[in-house]
This record gives sequence, structure tokens and C-alpha cells, in this order.
Amino acid sequence: MNSVVVTGLGVVAPHGDDAQAMFAALMQADSAVRPVFPDLPKPAAAALVDFDESRWFTKLQLAGVDRVSQLAVAAADLAMRDAGAADDVDAERIGVFAGCGMGGAAALEAAYRGGGRVPPLTIPAFMPNAPASHVAMRHGVHGPVLTYSVACASSAVAIAEAAKAVQRGDVDLAIAGGAEALIVPGVVLAWQAMQTLATFQPGEAATAIRPFATDRSGFALGEGAAFLVLESAQRAQRRGARCYAALSGWGISSDATHLTKPDPQGQSRALRAALRQAGLAPRDVGYCNAHGTATRIGDVVERDALAAVWGDALDGLRVSSTKALHGHLLGAAGALEAAVTVLAVARRELPPNAHTETVEPACALNLVRGAGVAAPALDAAISNSFAFGGTNAVLLFTRA
Amino acid sequence: MPTDNNHMSSLKELQELVHEKFGIEASALDPNASMREKGFDSLALVEFLFAIEDRFGISMSDEDSNVDTLAQLSTLVDKLVAAKAA
Repeated sequence: MNSVVVTGLGVVAPHGDDAQAMFAALMQADSAVRPVFPDLPKPAAAALVDFDESRWFTKLQLAGVDRVSQLAVAAADLAMRDAGAADDVDAERIGVFAGCGMGGAAALEAAYRGGGRVPPLTIPAFMPNAPASHVAMRHGVHGPVLTYSVACASSAVAIAEAAKAVQRGDVDLAIAGGAEALIVPGVVLAWQAMQTLATFQPGEAATAIRPFATDRSGFALGEGAAFLVLESAQRAQRRGARCYAALSGWGISSDATHLTKPDPQGQSRALRAALRQAGLAPRDVGYCNAHGTATRIGDVVERDALAAVWGDALDGLRVSSTKALHGHLLGAAGALEAAVTVLAVARRELPPNAHTETVEPACALNLVRGAGVAAPALDAAISNSFAFGGTNAVLLFTRA
Repeated sequence: MPTDNNHMSSLKELQELVHEKFGIEASALDPNASMREKGFDSLALVEFLFAIEDRFGISMSDEDSNVDTLAQLSTLVDKLVAAKAA
């Protein structure tokens, strides 16, 4: 079986479209969460992308292309340029594996609000597989072009599935990640109704997300896209590619207990599966980019799952949820946080778990507090993505 | 279809709409050139027809999406606008 390495990274994120600069901003605990939609009845905050679509599309090319697909095309393009990998690959040997939770939310919102005049391309703009298709068209990909819609685990699952395809030799190169862009009033109202978004006082939106803290009250929505280029280690070595990290393990499990309530046993199964595949013991893993949505139940369950698997080694695992800074990108969260985790391994630096002053006793973890820290001995790290619907995905990256 | 541009009342407005919506200057799109060959795929044309309907307050049929040049479109729009006024 081929081992799988990450040779390209592309992000279009609330912290910009330079992956290294984004990581540096996270290290400084720079929050991208801001108030949005002041006209809504309840205060709302989100992390938005400052995006200039004209860098990737002519106006003519934008017909029927929702923002979610625009972000996907941009991030995938940046990842492919970063990898410099496509020139010698047969188009049929490239695959696109993209996560997307919702699809083109702006297109749907415009249809509802159009006063009865519904734009004719609402459906192709909205369909959740449009981002993957646009990425494929941009790069002339003739291999598998697949979309995974698994709520908050969508793009982590996509990356795991891409890794399997590379490992099996189904494709030589995989463009794997995800996109989400649903910061529109209707969707924000729906999330507020779900009672999972953080509340905050005026002027305090940027620090409202406090994962694992006693005073946590939920997350803020984020938008963006992130893609990794995955190749076999042999191919990467043959072409002299720079490898950020190896994707050495992944675990996917299902709770099968409740649609929205997380389950520590289910999460533990995914964590164990990732370790088993990588052939590592818990103590070998130095960092966890937590799912960490800062919800009352979610953070405790994630801590319980980590404690169940890590046992006595739990204190050796540094943990942070970077959602405090970039928001929850839902279907793109797994990909963005995979990129963060890859960079943590490559740079041997750990981004912080921002805004948490007092840790909830039931969430006792070795959190990275304050600003980011150097981790000169870091060899392996995991990224957790746990979805509504009960699907859990864990990606495990090691030094290349 | 005859294309005597001088008598088309809507052509200039269609050219402005093409510029506004797709960023294409009037000089870059010959009224008698195939829009498909100029990069308008079927989806872009559908969006353009939708915008034309909005602009002129007219309703175009499915067959109207077969037109391929701005001049043809202009003739069609003129006809529909005239029919609406009658």
C-alpha cells in the first residue's frame, strides 16, 4: 500500500488566502470573528472571508457560480499551485474529493428573497456538488469527482476518502478538502434557533468563542475553503516535491445513537482507528486540533473521548480548538483544521485555544493557553471532526 | 434573420447590459457574432435572458434561448416590447 503525503495546501479563510500567514495569525490568537447582520433580532457574529472573485473568474464565468464554489475553486487552485504537481499527471488519474455541508446558500437565499423572480441558475448554483465540479472543470480532472456531505465532518471524510484512493493507487493525485459559505441571514437565523451559537455582549464578538471554558456558550459560523494535495510518498519523492506531512492514519466511525448529541464511545472508535492505522500509541501524538465547538455538551464529550483513548497519556497531548479564532466552517471545518494541523506538524508549532480563561473541570485537558507555542519534539498530530448525524472523523498527520 | 443594426432600438441597451453583467465592452462583442463562440455557454445565456426579461419587463420563451447573436436578441426584444405596448 502506498503511504500518503501532503504536497500542497490552499486556503481561502477568514484569516486570508496565504496558509502560512493564516497559521501565523492563529499563533497570535488573532480572531477573525466579527458582528454580522445588525438588523437581525438577536446579535450575530461570524468569520467572513475577504474574497476578490475577479482573481479567479471573469464576470462571464461567474454565471450560476455560488460563492461556495468560488471559494472552492480559489482554494483548490492555490493548493495545486503550491504543490506544482499537475503537469505530469494523466487527467484520469486525478481525483477531486470535496466536503460541503450545505451548498450554495446565497443562491437559495436570493431565490427566496427575489420577490417571486427566481434566478434560473439557482439549482446548479445551490447543488452541494457544484464546488467539486467547478474545481474539476478548472483543472480538467477526469478521475473521480466526489462530494461528501457529512455535516461538520464533511471535508475530513473527503480527505480520508481521498487518502484511501491514493493509497489504493486509484488516483495518482487527489485534490481533497472542502468549502462552505452560508453566512446569509436565513441560515444564521436557523443556526440561532438551534441554540448552538455563542452569545456575546456588544463589542465582544471577537472573543465570544471560548472552547472548553466554564463560560463557553457555543460557536460562531465561519466561511471558507481549504484543499490539500495528496500524493503517494513514492510519487512525491520521484518528482522531488516538498512534503508538509504524511497523512498516516484516519478513522471514521458512527455514533448511531442520536442525530445531534455526540457520543464519547463513537468518537473514541474513530480516534482508535486513526491511531491503529498509523501504528502509533496515544503517547506518540503530541497535538490535537480539537473539534471544540464550545457547546455545553460537545466539549465535555470530546474530552471524555480523548481521555478514554489517551488514558494516562492525556496530559502529554496538547489540545486547542482553533474555531475560537476562525469560526466553525462546518463542511469546510475538517479541511481548514487539517491544514492547520499539517502546518503545526511541519512548523512544530501549536496554535492556541484562545479566549479560555477558566477551564471547565469536566473538560480538563492540556490546552495550549494564551498565544501559540513551539513544539520542537512534535512528530504526530490529530484533527478531530465530529458531525451532526453521528459521523466522527479523525485525521492523523506525522512528520514527512 | 435580417440584422439592420441602425433600426434596433434595444441593441445599445443590450450592449450596456452585457457590460454591466459580464464585464464585456460593446466593442468586444460584434452584434452579429456568435455569443456562444465568444464564451457565453448555455448557462450564461440563460442568466442573460433572465436579466433581459427584468430590464425590459418582457417574457421570453424557451425557444428564444436558441438565439445566438446580440443582433438577433435585439430584434426579438424589440418585437416583444412592441407586442407589450400594443
